[in-house]
Amino acid sequence: MLVPIFTLKLNHKINPRMVTIGKFDGIHPCLTAATQAGKVFIHNPHMRGQRQAAHRLSQSAQDSDISLLNINQAVSCLTAGTLGPNTTGDTLLVGTQTNLLAYDVHDNADIFYREVTDGANAIVLGKLGNIESPLAIIGGNCALQGFDFEGNDQFWTVTGDNVRSLVLCDFTGDGKNELLVGSEDFDIRVFKEDELVSEMAENETVTSLCHMHGSRFGYALANGTVGVYDRTARYWRIKSHSSLCHIHSRSGSGWKLPPKGTDWWNSDRTGEVIFKDNFSSSVAGVVEGDYRMDGQIQLICTSVDGEVRGYLPASKEMKGNLMDSSVEQDLIRELSQRRQNLLLELRNYEENAKQAVPGISDGDTQMGVIPANTQLQTALSVRAATESQKAHIELSISTPNETIIRAVLIFAEGIFEGESHVVHPSSQNLSGCVRVPIIPPKDIPVDLHVKAFVGGKSSTQFHVFEITRQLPRFSMYDLHVDPESPQPTGKVTFTINDRPQRVVMWLNQNFLLPEGIDTPDVTFTSLRDGGLLNISMLSTSGEITLNTDDIDLAGDLVQSLASFLAIEDLQAEADFPTYFGELRTTLTEVDEYHSVHQKLTAAIADHSNHIRNMLVQAEDARLMGDMKNMKKRYIELYDLNRDLINEYKIRSNNHNALLACLKSVNQAIQWAGRLRVGKPKNQVITACRDAIKNNNVNALFKIMRAGTASS
Amino acid sequence: MEISTKTWQHCPFDLGLVGVTSQKTMRLLPAVGRKATQKVAVADYDGVITCFGMKKGEAVPVFKTLPGQKIARLDLGGAIGTPQEKIFVCAGSEVKGFTKKGKQFLSFEANLTESINAMHVSGADLFVCASYIYNHYCDCKDQDYYLSGDKINDIVCLPAENLGRIVPVLACQDRVLRVLKGSELLYDIEVPGPPCVLELYNRDGGTNGEDILYGTIDGKLGLIRITDSSSSSKWEIGNEKKKGGVLCMDTFDIMGDGVKDILVGRDDGTVEVYGFDCSNEPTLRFEHVLSESITSIQGGCVGKESYDEVLTATYTGWVTGLTTEPQQAEAGPGEEVKMSRETQSKVASLRAELDQLQMKVLQGREKYQQTSQSSTAVSAVPMFSVNDKFTLCQDDASYSLALEVQTAIDNLLLQSDVPIDLLDVDKNSAVVSFSECDSEPNGNFLLATYRCQANTTRLELKVRSIEGQYGTLQAYITPRLQPKTCQVRQYLIKPLSLHQRTHAIDQDRPMNTLSLVGQFSFAEIHSWVVFCLPEVPEKTPAGENITFYFQNTFLGTQLEATYCKGESHFKSDNISTISILKDVLSKEATKRKINLNISYDINDDSVGHTLKMIHPKLEYQLLLAKKVQLIDALKELQVHEGTADFLIPEYRNILDEAAYLLEEYKKQPAHLERLYGMITDLFIDKFKFKGQNVKTKVSLLLEILDNYDLDSLMNFFNEA
Repeated sequence: MLVPIFTLKLNHKINPRMVTIGKFDGIHPCLTAATQAGKVFIHNPHMRGQRQAAHRLSQSAQDSDISLLNINQAVSCLTAGTLGPNTTGDTLLVGTQTNLLAYDVHDNADIFYREVTDGANAIVLGKLGNIESPLAIIGGNCALQGFDFEGNDQFWTVTGDNVRSLVLCDFTGDGKNELLVGSEDFDIRVFKEDELVSEMAENETVTSLCHMHGSRFGYALANGTVGVYDRTARYWRIKSHSSLCHIHSRSGSGWKLPPKGTDWWNSDRTGEVIFKDNFSSSVAGVVEGDYRMDGQIQLICTSVDGEVRGYLPASKEMKGNLMDSSVEQDLIRELSQRRQNLLLELRNYEENAKQAVPGISDGDTQMGVIPANTQLQTALSVRAATESQKAHIELSISTPNETIIRAVLIFAEGIFEGESHVVHPSSQNLSGCVRVPIIPPKDIPVDLHVKAFVGGKSSTQFHVFEITRQLPRFSMYDLHVDPESPQPTGKVTFTINDRPQRVVMWLNQNFLLPEGIDTPDVTFTSLRDGGLLNISMLSTSGEITLNTDDIDLAGDLVQSLASFLAIEDLQAEADFPTYFGELRTTLTEVDEYHSVHQKLTAAIADHSNHIRNMLVQAEDARLMGDMKNMKKRYIELYDLNRDLINEYKIRSNNHNALLACLKSVNQAIQWAGRLRVGKPKNQVITACRDAIKNNNVNALFKIMRAGTASS
Repeated sequence: MEISTKTWQHCPFDLGLVGVTSQKTMRLLPAVGRKATQKVAVADYDGVITCFGMKKGEAVPVFKTLPGQKIARLDLGGAIGTPQEKIFVCAGSEVKGFTKKGKQFLSFEANLTESINAMHVSGADLFVCASYIYNHYCDCKDQDYYLSGDKINDIVCLPAENLGRIVPVLACQDRVLRVLKGSELLYDIEVPGPPCVLELYNRDGGTNGEDILYGTIDGKLGLIRITDSSSSSKWEIGNEKKKGGVLCMDTFDIMGDGVKDILVGRDDGTVEVYGFDCSNEPTLRFEHVLSESITSIQGGCVGKESYDEVLTATYTGWVTGLTTEPQQAEAGPGEEVKMSRETQSKVASLRAELDQLQMKVLQGREKYQQTSQSSTAVSAVPMFSVNDKFTLCQDDASYSLALEVQTAIDNLLLQSDVPIDLLDVDKNSAVVSFSECDSEPNGNFLLATYRCQANTTRLELKVRSIEGQYGTLQAYITPRLQPKTCQVRQYLIKPLSLHQRTHAIDQDRPMNTLSLVGQFSFAEIHSWVVFCLPEVPEKTPAGENITFYFQNTFLGTQLEATYCKGESHFKSDNISTISILKDVLSKEATKRKINLNISYDINDDSVGHTLKMIHPKLEYQLLLAKKVQLIDALKELQVHEGTADFLIPEYRNILDEAAYLLEEYKKQPAHLERLYGMITDLFIDKFKFKGQNVKTKVSLLLEILDNYDLDSLMNFFNEA
């Protein structure tokens, strides 16, 4: 239970998830948030009228408690905390799509200003692993980068997709922090410095992470799911109606923030909501701090419209008044409700027993009476593409008798647009068999929760059959092979110390095979792009070769097989000529974009000089009363301005293209890593990074192929 | 609106749980002798009447009857002048009477073909209503009879003491209160919505015994004074906040200020208390929201002497009280322990009962499983009751669908064979997911699932339809109850779905007429009208011919339908309405192989008139959209410059009104698109009647709409 303590109206829009609190002078906590048009405002109600504006900082003319910081670029993330060793106050860190700024608010000075090509989508400040000094770690497009107080790049690694959320947490319980990364490919990855320790697959973009206590952390997904993990085991999760923007935790309890409201949930138990409050607009973020300077830590919520509310936990006495009777009430209510449910269920059985003696009455057709021995049969099979339909996996559901299936609901996460898929045949097409085409977009194992409504043709009430089927990880691969399709050129080769039977077992469990196979040498057709996948194993040496042109798939297969066989370290040799060719082109493009970028920057600087001159000339002409000249100058200025805007557009396009290229380069490194397991994997990533740093393209490919830089 | 929290500790407490209850099935028996606490009588769907009192915070049953047919109403009666403590219920077409001890003394079969859905008891007089029929019995002998034009939702009778005779008042679905005299209609009173509940003001009709309270399905309520020859409305409360429909009302001085307050229970779980200020205008004093519909409400004293309570019964059968008893006493140091001991024993006994039940259920489950081995047995699960409401909201011209089940809902599947939009409702906490639709072989235009959070027994959704596109919306409801079953409910989306019945129309507008002549019966043409338009009674009206008036809730255009055997005339100022009617009616007639002679008289002025009617709405929306677009930029300027003084007054105005503008904008999503759609329809329909196909010019029309100006639009309509 919480009680609201204060509310403020700041009259500034606040960007979602970009709110923090910092003690910039070491004493007074200040609410800091990013606002539209590239500004950051700092709300400091503690020291009125003692500051003066200078440099970046300017005092807002409307409200003396607020100072504005001009970033002149859309802010993408923001945090505050201790970065340097001997600073008195907190350092403010502001990330944009191209830069990271560390700023000392108290002294009104930049600490460092670094260019980050991969952008900064999320930021976290703190100690990581064995690295001495605290780092400001930013997550960008597929890349993670950590800077110390001098702006030195102390940490770098790649991850699967664009980073959306970051948190530091002692995941392994060794007293040192690990970095948890939530990304757009639905994964939560744990990095022990630059080594990937574990990966948890979720089913939506991970929008927020927060540390709860010990090795327990909370997460939130874009589809409104919120939950808690203890290490790799999911503790609980619930899904809410609206999408979440931010979660925050405090002493075992956490906040989740759906738009328009805040819920406080209890993590130690089952995730039930213990407090709820509503804002008139979306909530931008929640922070905690002693904002009233009275020794109590408040939870402070801000909405995008600049409304701020502070809360304190209700005191013991108040709890007594508010809670006790209602807790008892609730318990009794819950028990009575359960009793009612049981009574209803019992009534169902009693009525059913009466009906069980066959005898057709009028109610039968409505009630949806079905033979008691009705059981649903389900089958999963792979269907190749036909003219009218794309290749898919078919789930067929049928009844053994004359009953019909009115509708089928499939609840599954991550493979449909929403969380469910419905098949509802029109009344003319009703039958006892329904076929559902399923096309999973990614290779992940999925539980299909099927609900089928079974009854008669004119029923208004149906029996609901609930069945759960599992879709294996690699289900979009068909054993049927078109002999004319070209053999794949890419391959990965590695050696394992296991019997071929174990590999066969893995194949049977992870692929959708009509009947079991007994040899590890198989060829599949991918239903997504029609490419071939060839798996073969030499039983003598245990050497496995995967032939495919899809490096991502090869990585998935290696990782899946390694975890099945519990292999800790695995070195592999790989060659993907087509993909490497594309990557080489991308690398050249990166160079080109870089040079274009530099050229454009120079041109823009040039133009700005022109504008300055022109403006002075035009104003001079105006003062002199030389209207003709003034008009001419302004017309020129207008043209120049238009050119500038055009140039900006070009520059912006160029920049976006560059970002896309950089992302694919980072992804390539990640994929190359995934072809190996354990130590060799980390070696590949580090070596690739070095190669890119030294601009040694040939070395890069050599590493990707052989797995090491040397030899 | 300040709530006086000192005297009103709104602590809800549960008194017990019975079966599913209908509207107005809980009453408080009058207090007996010195005892100040009252007993509660509740009747439910299982046909059980439960009567209980409270002792030391626990419900002590007085009596409980055996199960029977579903009980639709419960009323109290007794000889006039004595305490009204006899309990009357109606179940099916039977009326039963019980003494306060639970002894049955009356069983009266009304011999109606339909079940009774409303009842009033007064002395020896019994008044019952079954859908369209009203019957009056005195000492169980037939007295009067009346056939209403539309469904009767409730009945109340003004007491005989003051007026000399009993005056029955019927609440009818067609937005009318019908005042009867004997078997004749005395006069009718128009009310702002379909009335669904009537109560005597102050439980006796006020000082002169002529005041009645009414509540409507769309959430409005009011007080009407009924005299011998005329009626006058004393006050009326609208429903701006879009709360649920009124299901029950009572008059009781709960605030303890000597003035009787109005207690209101709504179908979205809202309990309201209206007090009266010095000018005798009702004001909202208190509001509390329960999670399910309130079927009955009454003020009285049940739990503890000298503390008044508001007693409510909800749809799933919870009897809940809101007490005026101060909470501090309860949480006091000594008493707290006692309280919890009481509760402990209560909890313990409940748990014991649960364990027993659990065992029984397990046995039942096992047996049920065993039947699945048998090849001859059948599995039939009894139908569960669903309380549903599908109504057109006048304010935003959209339909709201409310579903309520006795147990928690697990999931809901919505399927529609017409294009409709599903709107988000804030109150709704279920997780919505839209599924891909294959409109080709299976005719699905909407497939959506709602996965409900635990303990959701009530769901509310909003649906927006398009006129001219008609079909069925189906809802499959699956509750969390073993063995799992789901029930389907169907809701018709009619061709003129946005029309609403009114009592009169403006005859001066330029009208288009559609006339149909052919070999059809009165019943046939009536069924077609029912098919096309909402709020028309299904029963063929009495008499030779009939006229209905309608209004389009979105545009405000009107429709007049007059028809009799072999002939029908439809008049509307909106050409699209006529066009839709023409299409649907001719299709229906062809289906039944009836030859229709269709003629129409198109008034060209009507198009301009309709455009002029749309104009203010369109202009307002366009301006609003423009202003809303500017807000952010202006705010940024204001922040940057630190002041807004340099802006022109128009922009400063936008800044000042920003909050209001945004709210208005949010209120009516896609309003502009809908208006555009209707103008386009109007354009196409105008030329369709002239035999021209102008679909190719629609893009031109949209261009004109983008740079909207009434004159150029009018010109375009005239020239094209």
